[in-house]
Amino acid sequence: MPDVASVADRVKRLIVDNLHLEGLRPEMIDEEAPLFGEGLGLDSVDALELVVAVEKEFGIKIKSNEIGRDAFASVASLSRFIAGRL
Amino acid sequence: MPMGATAATPAELAGAKSGRAGRRVAVSGAGAVSGFGWGVEPLWQGLCAGATAIRPFSRFDHRSHRTHVAAEVPPPPQGSVPVAGRSAGGRRSASDRSGRQLSLADRFALAAAGEAAAAAGLDAALPGLPEGAGGVFFGSSTGGMWEGEGFVAELFGGRRGALHAIASQQVNGPGDAVARRYGFTGPVETVSSACASGALAIGAALAALRAGEVEVALAGGADSLCQLTYGGFNSLRAVDEEPCRPFRAGRAGMSIGEGAAVLVLEPLERVLARGARPLAELAGAGSACDAFHMTAPEPEGAGAAAAIAAALEDAGIEPADVDFVNAHATGTQLNDDAEWRALERIFGERARRLPVTATKAGVGHLLGCSGAIEALVTVLSLARGELHPVPAAADAIDGSCPAALVTGRPLALPAARAALSTSLAFGGSNAALIFRRWTGPSP
Repeated sequence: MPDVASVADRVKRLIVDNLHLEGLRPEMIDEEAPLFGEGLGLDSVDALELVVAVEKEFGIKIKSNEIGRDAFASVASLSRFIAGRL
Repeated sequence: MPMGATAATPAELAGAKSGRAGRRVAVSGAGAVSGFGWGVEPLWQGLCAGATAIRPFSRFDHRSHRTHVAAEVPPPPQGSVPVAGRSAGGRRSASDRSGRQLSLADRFALAAAGEAAAAAGLDAALPGLPEGAGGVFFGSSTGGMWEGEGFVAELFGGRRGALHAIASQQVNGPGDAVARRYGFTGPVETVSSACASGALAIGAALAALRAGEVEVALAGGADSLCQLTYGGFNSLRAVDEEPCRPFRAGRAGMSIGEGAAVLVLEPLERVLARGARPLAELAGAGSACDAFHMTAPEPEGAGAAAAIAAALEDAGIEPADVDFVNAHATGTQLNDDAEWRALERIFGERARRLPVTATKAGVGHLLGCSGAIEALVTVLSLARGELHPVPAAADAIDGSCPAALVTGRPLALPAARAALSTSLAFGGSNAALIFRRWTGPSP
């Protein structure tokens, strides 16, 4: 299993590359901040983008009922979720 | 669904005949976005000055087209609803958290609805509205087509842009955005029957209000300039290289515009009960199809006349009660000739004397919203007692469609009783609305 920190770096890069958030750099993303609503302020359309990007980047499948659960709360939780699947 | 709706009392009904069915319906507020700017006042002032908003435009590169003018909505004034244009590469600002998914047409619709609701005093009236008693009836041809075009262009270039750009590309986007903003959970419907859409939507609102299905309706339309409509009408050679000149001998086609128009429609007794003054009464609506050709109108105007006759009957008035016409008047040879024939069929010899105005000469053709913005201008004309002129043009009125077009300066008509607004669409879809001047007491 890869270390969570390196997965988190890839997740942050993926958010910047795929979500079209102008002016956002990976180092600006707080790993513990909420992804949706508060924090990064992503919405349901971003969630779709993020799921597709994660599946492609890490070669894993994410079930619909896993989206919006604890796994997608923050960069940190998403990275732990991904690392557990690799 | 119980609405708590009550019929008008005999006292309230006194002074004017009721239409064919049910409750009388008042226009209690109006809001608009057009090539003249954001709001009803820039629209009205531009029209009354005999100006035109049809001019060179910058939304997209149109060098490959035959024509190079349109009535593009200017940037919104400082501090108002932001209009996030689609920036290069489909990037969006991380700081813009609100409404990233809205299309330009959605933003026009929200601005017009906000102005109309404020004018009607709806903020105070909405909290007591029963669940499901608010409805939205919209017309649109483009919805978020402009944003969709950008997404597809990027896709063909091998890059998949932001999904937000197409989240609201559907034609029902503007009306749905308005419903969400006001929490209207009654019927929310979008009509897309080309250039009759806005008028048909207002007709649908009238029917729902009369039937007691809704107590408040936000009715109108929104469209934005985009490449499909601009290029499409150009390909049909239906666009004039100059700003359109309806009913003129040298007319050479339409001009495309964009924007939104929203009317607040309510039962008359509801408006009076809260001490508001109606802008006008929406007295009747009618529609009829030519069933003739995909784009050309039936040349004798039979379908258009049938729609007008149906609206008059619905309103319970005679042609002689109509004191002016806000014509569809696109400026194409075929439309204006067929429309003139329809007016002659209805008004006979009087057609040549009946004052006619052509709002499209000022704001262009708003396509799915044209019937809505022209209904709004008709309402303003009744409420303010004057008919706006069309911009000056060198060529004379065409002998084949000799309408009594208002030119030069506004025509004062303070005692006009009723007015007709026509919408004659591709597919032969014809719609007509009748508005009556409010002559009742001021609160």
